[in-house]
Amino acid sequence: MTTTSFWEEKGSLANAFWTNGIVPDCPVYDMHGHMGAHNAIYFKRCEPADVVAHLKRCGVKHLVFSHHHVLFGNMRNEKVVDICRAFPEHLRMYVGINPHYPDRIREDLARFEQWRPWAVGLKFLCDYYQVPVTAPELAYALDFANERGIPILNHTWGGSKYDGGPLMLEVAQKYPNVKFFMGHSIYRDTEYSRRVVTETAGNVWLELTAIPGDYGYIERLVKDVGSERILFGTDMPWFDEFQGIGGVLSAEITDDDKRNILYRNVERLLGKEW
Amino acid sequence: MKGLTFFDAGCVIGDTMQGPGPDARKLLQEMDRAGVEKALVVHAGVATMPQLSNEMIANEVATAPDRLVGAWCLLPQQCPEIPPPDQLFDIMRSKGIAALTLNPTEHRYVACRLTLGHFMDAAAERKVPVLLDCFDNLWPELYAFVAEFPKNTFIFRSRWGKWGIDRQIRPLLENYVGFHFALSGYWVPEGIRDLVELYGADRLLYASGFPVFNHGNQMLQLKHSGLEPEDIAKIAGGNMERILKEAE
Repeated sequence: MTTTSFWEEKGSLANAFWTNGIVPDCPVYDMHGHMGAHNAIYFKRCEPADVVAHLKRCGVKHLVFSHHHVLFGNMRNEKVVDICRAFPEHLRMYVGINPHYPDRIREDLARFEQWRPWAVGLKFLCDYYQVPVTAPELAYALDFANERGIPILNHTWGGSKYDGGPLMLEVAQKYPNVKFFMGHSIYRDTEYSRRVVTETAGNVWLELTAIPGDYGYIERLVKDVGSERILFGTDMPWFDEFQGIGGVLSAEITDDDKRNILYRNVERLLGKEW
Repeated sequence: MKGLTFFDAGCVIGDTMQGPGPDARKLLQEMDRAGVEKALVVHAGVATMPQLSNEMIANEVATAPDRLVGAWCLLPQQCPEIPPPDQLFDIMRSKGIAALTLNPTEHRYVACRLTLGHFMDAAAERKVPVLLDCFDNLWPELYAFVAEFPKNTFIFRSRWGKWGIDRQIRPLLENYVGFHFALSGYWVPEGIRDLVELYGADRLLYASGFPVFNHGNQMLQLKHSGLEPEDIAKIAGGNMERILKEAE
């Protein structure tokens, strides 16, 4: 084999990461993370100190996460604020919204402003709650986010009757001030991952969790919606940060596209210090 | 790649009844782009046409014999669709085929000593690796098969999953020295290093999972896994080279 691989191309972003691991002029923002144990998997590194250690060794500036125990259990969001306070340089949170607990939604959102800057947005997990994103149970949170221009990270999945493409398009059109982060980019429904961006008012970004290893997928998304509309995420502690970064760097897109995905788009949305 | 040789232990090429797939030329193009030297390849059509796919993968491998090695699919020994063991391995060697695979679900038989014992014993004697990706998500069947053939050299690779399978894989790594784990889709944070600390670096293999997955994502994960360079080199390609060298 005599060809030069993309990892070895001098001056390229891939070469910088391959050689150094951390690239100071290319910070990474992971916009889709979690914390805590989960029934379906063994995690060695799911507690805050271990997660932050992983972020540091991979050069991730911020991880925005929702806690598994808020989403799947009985933990309250205020405990997550404490976790962020303990790791102020790296951790930010999404306020987990469980539509089966309407009182908690109102209580937590009443405290949203005082939870800034730790709280960056809300997290919806409609597939798991088996509540459509358009259901009345979520209207209060959607109105709240719409009035304030707050991001909502949505779990989305192609074909889901709770957060699949048609519903996400409908809700993104109905709430034009909400910044919708489409977690998993409505996985495997490339028609709607395109439409939710192109048929809305500039308030939708696709998020890459579970995608960076897929052959050709990032290239397809960039072609369909442009790299300015794509955010990096890993589901940390589910996926290794270097694996995700490696997947972005492996895509046949320009270095400008890669920088947009890894940090520029987030900085356009939230600034450099947040 | 300068300083680090990658041998991909998990690629699939060829057409299926569902449509065309990448051929050896396309695979080699992707390998060149990422800096992967060699690959072990299985034909995508194994499920629906095992005998024909054996011929076809041999033809693909023949286009780049210095870079590609193939795997042939077994069928039950009682039905003479595959040459008997005393002929099979010589034929395989002559055609650049270095591993065996199976697909009992699609081929409608029970994978066990009754059906495959002659082949499996001969493979164990010759240290020819047997690929077990057919058992992905069929954990009881995988455990039973490995337990029935504890002397064989196995390579297990998850074909589709991305969500860590430590609970399923660790008992096999702990109990069977011939069990190797090809890492495509194993994206657990720092998980590669954890497995090495528990079971050593000799049992893990870099595998892309192409064309489902790309080659590069796990290359960076391994490069910055925190392992010693010699362990990274083993996982990247050294272990696969060793397994094939040991095979007769």
